[in-house]
This record gives sequence, C-alpha cells and structure tokens, in this order.
Amino acid sequence: MELQLGLALPPPPLIPIETFDLNSYGNYETREALGTNALSWPLLKLGPADNDINNIHHHNSSSSSSSSGGGAGCKKRSFDEAPFFDEKRNVPKTLHLLLWTNQPNDEDDDPSNVLHENSSSAIFKNDGEGLVGWPPVKTWRKKVHHQIPNGGAENNRLPAVENGIGGRASKSTYVKVKMEGVPIARKIDLSVHHSFEGLTNTLMRMFGISDGNRKSFKLTYQDREGDWLLAEDVPWRTFIRSLKCLKLIRSRG
Amino acid sequence: MPKRLASSLSDEVLEHVFSFIQSEKDRNVVSAVCKSWYEIERWCRRKIFVGNCYAVSPEMVIRRFPQVRSIELKGKPHFADFNLVPDGWGGYVLPWITEMAGAYPWLDEIRLKRMVVTDESLELIAKSFKDFKVLVLASCEGFSTDGLAAIAASCKNLRELDLRESEVDDSSVHWLSHFPETYTSMVSLNISCLGSGEVSFSALERLVSRCPNLRSLKLNRAVPLDKTANILRLAPQLVEFSACTYSAELRSDVFSNLAGAFSNCKELRSLSGFWDVVPDYLPAIYSVCSRLTSLNLSYATILSPDLIKLVSHCPSLQRLLVLDYIEDSGLEALASNCKDLQELRVFPSDPFDAEPNASLTEQGLVAVSLGCPKLQSVLYFCRRMSNAALVTIAQNRPNLNRFRLCIIEPNTADYLTGEPFDVGFGAIVEHCKDLIRLSLSGLLTDCVFEYIGKYAKKLEMLSVAFAGDSDLGLHHVLSGCESLRKLEIRDCPFGDKALLTNAAKLETMQSLWMSSCSVSFEACKLLSQKMPRLNVEVIDERGPPDSRPENCTVDKLYIYRSVAGPRFDMPPFVWTKDEDLALRLSP
Repeated sequence: MELQLGLALPPPPLIPIETFDLNSYGNYETREALGTNALSWPLLKLGPADNDINNIHHHNSSSSSSSSGGGAGCKKRSFDEAPFFDEKRNVPKTLHLLLWTNQPNDEDDDPSNVLHENSSSAIFKNDGEGLVGWPPVKTWRKKVHHQIPNGGAENNRLPAVENGIGGRASKSTYVKVKMEGVPIARKIDLSVHHSFEGLTNTLMRMFGISDGNRKSFKLTYQDREGDWLLAEDVPWRTFIRSLKCLKLIRSRG
Repeated sequence: MPKRLASSLSDEVLEHVFSFIQSEKDRNVVSAVCKSWYEIERWCRRKIFVGNCYAVSPEMVIRRFPQVRSIELKGKPHFADFNLVPDGWGGYVLPWITEMAGAYPWLDEIRLKRMVVTDESLELIAKSFKDFKVLVLASCEGFSTDGLAAIAASCKNLRELDLRESEVDDSSVHWLSHFPETYTSMVSLNISCLGSGEVSFSALERLVSRCPNLRSLKLNRAVPLDKTANILRLAPQLVEFSACTYSAELRSDVFSNLAGAFSNCKELRSLSGFWDVVPDYLPAIYSVCSRLTSLNLSYATILSPDLIKLVSHCPSLQRLLVLDYIEDSGLEALASNCKDLQELRVFPSDPFDAEPNASLTEQGLVAVSLGCPKLQSVLYFCRRMSNAALVTIAQNRPNLNRFRLCIIEPNTADYLTGEPFDVGFGAIVEHCKDLIRLSLSGLLTDCVFEYIGKYAKKLEMLSVAFAGDSDLGLHHVLSGCESLRKLEIRDCPFGDKALLTNAAKLETMQSLWMSSCSVSFEACKLLSQKMPRLNVEVIDERGPPDSRPENCTVDKLYIYRSVAGPRFDMPPFVWTKDEDLALRLSP
C-alpha cells in the first residue's frame, strides 16, 4: 500500500488549480519535512472548493469528494486561497485517495494511474468495494439497505418470505429517482409497487407534489439501452423489467 | 474509627451490607479496602463482567470468585463489527463454559458479546446449569438452531433468550417447538436476527400464549402482518415489541385488525422492526405512540413527511433510531415535539452512494441539540458538517456523554470554511465534561488530539479514522486522557514513537486497536518484550511480518492488557513475539 509517488516525481512548477494536478500538490508537500515517521507516501489534505449547494452536488456527482482534488466542476483556486498550505504546517497530511484500492499496487508508482484513481472519492469506487469497514455501518445493516439489482450480493440473511403477501420477490429492487430541478436523488423500492398508480402515488408523496400539481409532471425512465422513455407508454411488466432509473419531468404544453 | 468499624462488624453483617452494592466498580473498590473485606467480598460476589475475554482466564476468575451466578463476557474488538477482524481471530466461549460448568452449578445468567459460540457450548449450558435463566448472545456467531433447540428443551426456568444481531445457522430444526408445553417462564425473547425458515409461527403463537410474563418480544422479519396482529392479541401485556414485515398494499381489514391489536397494548413502550413498512400502515400504531419511549425505525424506508407525522404523535420519546430519510425537516419536528429525547441515532440509508439521497445535513443535529434539553447520546451519519455547528452543539448541550459523528467521506472539511474540524470537536470535549465516548470523523489535524488530551478527562472510549498528521496526535491522547479504556484507530499516520513513549499507559487501558497505521513490527516486538502484561497481537494475513522489508508497517495491531498471558488459540495470521508458539492449538 505504500507509494513512492511523491519522492519519485520531479517537482513541476506550481500552477493555479483548474484541473487539480496532484503531482504538484504532492511535491509541494514533500518539500516540507516529512517528519520522523518517514511515511513513504505524499501527504495532503484538501477542502471543498465552495459551499454552494449546486456546486457541491456537481462536485459530488463528478464523483470527487469534498476532499478530493479532481473534477472540472470545482471552482478555480490558486495556492493563495488554499487554506492548507500555510507555513506553520510543515507536518505531513494525509491524502487518502492514493491508497484505497483493493488491488495490490505496491509496485505501481505510475502517476497517471494514481491520478486516474483519484478521480473518484475514496469510498465510492468499485461499487462501494473501496474501503473495508467504512463507513462504519454494521454488516447486517448494510444488507438491509444496500440491495442494488446488478451488484448487490446475495446473502442468506434476506428472508425468502414464503408467506409473503402479493408474492414479492425476495430481493428488493431499489432504483434512483430524480425530479427535474431537485438536486437530491431518491431511491425507491420497486418491489413494493405493482402498478403505475401506486408508483406515482409514492413518487408524488416523496417529492411533496400535491394532487393538484400531479398533472404537470410526467414520469420518464431510462432503460437498459440508455434511452429515455415515457413510463405511461409501456405496460407495467415491460417497464419493470427494463428500467434502470426514473425521472420526473415537468410536462410542457 | 473506620479501622475499628471494619473489624468489629461480623462477616455476615458485612456480607449483607455488600449485597446492596451491585456496581462492579464499587465492588472492586470494596475488595481493595483490606484483606478481610477482600475475602468476604469475593465469596459473595455474584456478578462478573469481563470486558475482554482474553484479559483473564476462566480458572483465575473461578479461583477468586467461587460463587458467581451471572457472567458477562466480551470477545472480539469493536471494529469486528465492520469486518476489520478476520474470521477465526478468536473469542471462543467454550473454554469458559467448560470451566464454569464444573465450578458454578448455580450459574443462571450468561451474557456474551462478539464471541464465537458453538452448538457444543449451548448444549453444555443446557446440560450444566439447572436453574439457567438468562442467555444473551449479542453479535455472536458459530451456532445453529440445533444449539437453540438444546436450550429450549432443557432450560425449564429460562426467562430471557436474546440473540440480538447474532448470526445463526439454520439447521432446519424447529427449535421453538422444543420448548415443552409445560414451559411458561419466558419474559424476554429476541429472535429478530433469524431468517425466515428458522421460526415456526404456530409454535411461536403457542409459546406466546402460554407465557403470561412475556414483556419483551422481538420477532424476525418474516412474520407477516396478520400473524403480527394475532401475536399482539395473545400478549397485550408487552412492553417491548419488534414489528414485522408490512405488506405492500393497504388492506383495510388487515389494517383495522392490526390497529385493534395495538390499541390493546396499554403497556407498550418500545417499538422496533418496521422492515418494509408501507407508510399507510403507520397509523395502526398511533394508539400507543403517546406512551412510547423508544422507537427504532432504522430499517424502515419511510420518508420525511411520514416520519414527521409519526414523531409528532410521540411526545414521550426518549430514544429514536432512524435513517437519514428523516432529513433536517424531520429532525426539526423531533426537536419541537420530543422534549424528553435522550438518545438519537441517525443511520445512512445508502452509505456507499456518492450522492446524498436525503436532505440531511448538520442542521438537523443542531436543531435536535438546541431543542432537546435532555439529549445525552448521539450517533449521527451525515455528509457535511461545519465547525460552527459543532460549537453550537457543544455550547448548548454540555450534558452530552456520547458523541459519535460519522461524516461519511473521509477527510471532508468544514463545508463553510474549508477548515479541519479541530475547533469543532475541541469545543465538544471542552464543554461536554462528562463525555465518555467519542467518535471522530472528517478532516482533522494533530490539533484536535491536543484538545482531546487536554479536556476529555472522563473519556473512556475514542474512535479515530483518517485523522491526524503525526505521532504527536496519538501522543496527546495517550498522555492526556486519564480515563481512557478503549482506543480504536484506523488509517491514521500514527507510528512507533507515540506508542513506545506511552507504553506504560497501555497497561492502564483495556485495549488499543490500530489498523492501517504506521507501526512497525519491530516496535511491536519491543513493546511485547518490555511489557509482559500486555498481549501484543499483530494481525496480518499477508504472511510473517518479519519476512517483509524493515520499514514495512503492520496491517492490524491489537494490544490489550492481560493477566492470563499469551493465548493458545491464536490463528496463523496473528503474530506475537513468541516464535515458539508452534504449540499453537487451533480451535
């Protein structure tokens, strides 16, 4: 897990941060004292570019955390603004991003490789397989909620529900739902719904849309091929089988 | 005067006086007063708590306390809950049961946490303790329904069977049916962890109907709605109940049956379960809501509007566990409705998703801290935080004694200022003088540890992840936190220096866990040599630690004090200084 990255690279000139060049960050730090720990990876901490909710959302959706470097969505920052590079701090800081893969990359010093890995946040890579035991949620809790149709691990803790009412599938199917204009995506369990009526009711309630306003929204979905379609155009069964995610859009005209 | 008093009171009188002293800490103090008090006390101690099963051996416990009736043992370190401890590490209860079977025929209570329990152990319990009353297996594993069947069949006076969060293998035995028809003593039954095949409804109904003292019933997920209503009608005296699977669509007959059943339960104070609940069924519990003191909705995927409605019916709530679906708005409603709230736990509905799927921020926690004057215990998962919020919380809620904050993404900074959370957590430890448990997260430098070392004098358990800059951080904690018992650290740049400088401190603590830090095997060996009363375990599945390059750090390190010496049940991936542990016996 150790990286010789910081020590191996030549220090390029410090540049204003449009695209965060972690090589330069890393070397800026290694010029400072690494301390007696002699940790062999460059140590760095970064903060969020700004606190505008839209930018944060965009920041997150470009799959970098607030402490990652990457993403074109970040506001431009120069070194002067960066709160972390003050002279008093000549102790190493932790850059978590470089380390968290399950692949043994002990010998992999290739900087471009590292940068590529840094483009996603620490725990959200590899479909959540990145960090062991983080976030600290107990195993059985994860199994209750983290049930994605394509990746969720089958586990024997889920009950088969032989006496289940309505003959539900034993594995819940959660899909993402977005509403136009709302930054926060939701997740909805499809297996508890059996008709468009029921599904729409839940969605209206989820997004706080009153009965009066219902008509101004249309339900669309993205199918496995990536095409966006109107939900009402297809039978329920087809819809359920092919949908990947949902979106409520405002109907025009 | 005290000296004369001690010798003038007869042993029987002293023993009688001691019988009023229940707390273990007080008992320990009593036994340290003088030799005669030590002797008297050890003969009349009935309850033992062993926080680390490897800190002492069963023989030692039995030798000192010959007449114990109740024992509580804990095995694996806390981080085992998050898969950080490899399978097979240890925590076997069988050696304890074997010894106690002979020495304590009157043992009637066994409480275990994070231990490996086998069917053999359960069968031995069933056979050896004639008046066995209480079995609690929390987060345990290694046993099946066969073992449960043995308990059910033999323990005529069993009052409590609690399998909370354990992993039970299904051996397809209808173990519930093994309770004889004459058995009527159940007071508390928690089988919420069992899978669907492991419980027979008819046996359950018969059991419930013949146990008039049943107070707490926590069923597993697969009990359908109509069965739930039936069971409630059989046990209207319940104080705690864990509800079951709710059906997909609202059926008015099922609803009214359920609502009626709940309305009979005048003693009900605690509800949990709610797996797959459909919000339309929630009003069925409204009749009991005003008396509820504890509500666990952390499996329920109900959203904020429905949660707000529910919470507004529960003014007596003292304890709430919930998912982040409650959102800031729900927590604001909680703050205005539930003035008796003492404990809040908010779990992430989707911990691994990069995008937040619920509008839950630091604002919710601030609202509850401001609105709930009795709030003492917090566990909060969120995706953003600010120092300002933490300071507000600290200043308004100095009565907090447990504060566990998990900002989901490691190294997240204050979203308003971009700064680390040193100041925020510093405020927490400074103002909350009775803080006994703290979990840190977010961007943190060595400064926060300086604050912790300086102010957190009553802190007993500290959890740290992705924090700190150098050994100084760890040094601050080890040198400053006088009451520290358990320290667990992962992914921090703490190394040999802090550890070796504070070696003596480690003997005053129960345990230290460090994983993915910067401790070398050399330091571990040195520590081990110099401190004979510490067990220093290097957990490393990659192979022998000394076969790797000099500067290679150990993967996981678990250090705990022990008077029992090195253990003999270590698996191959646990390394200690003793090379001659070729006589390691695998379990």
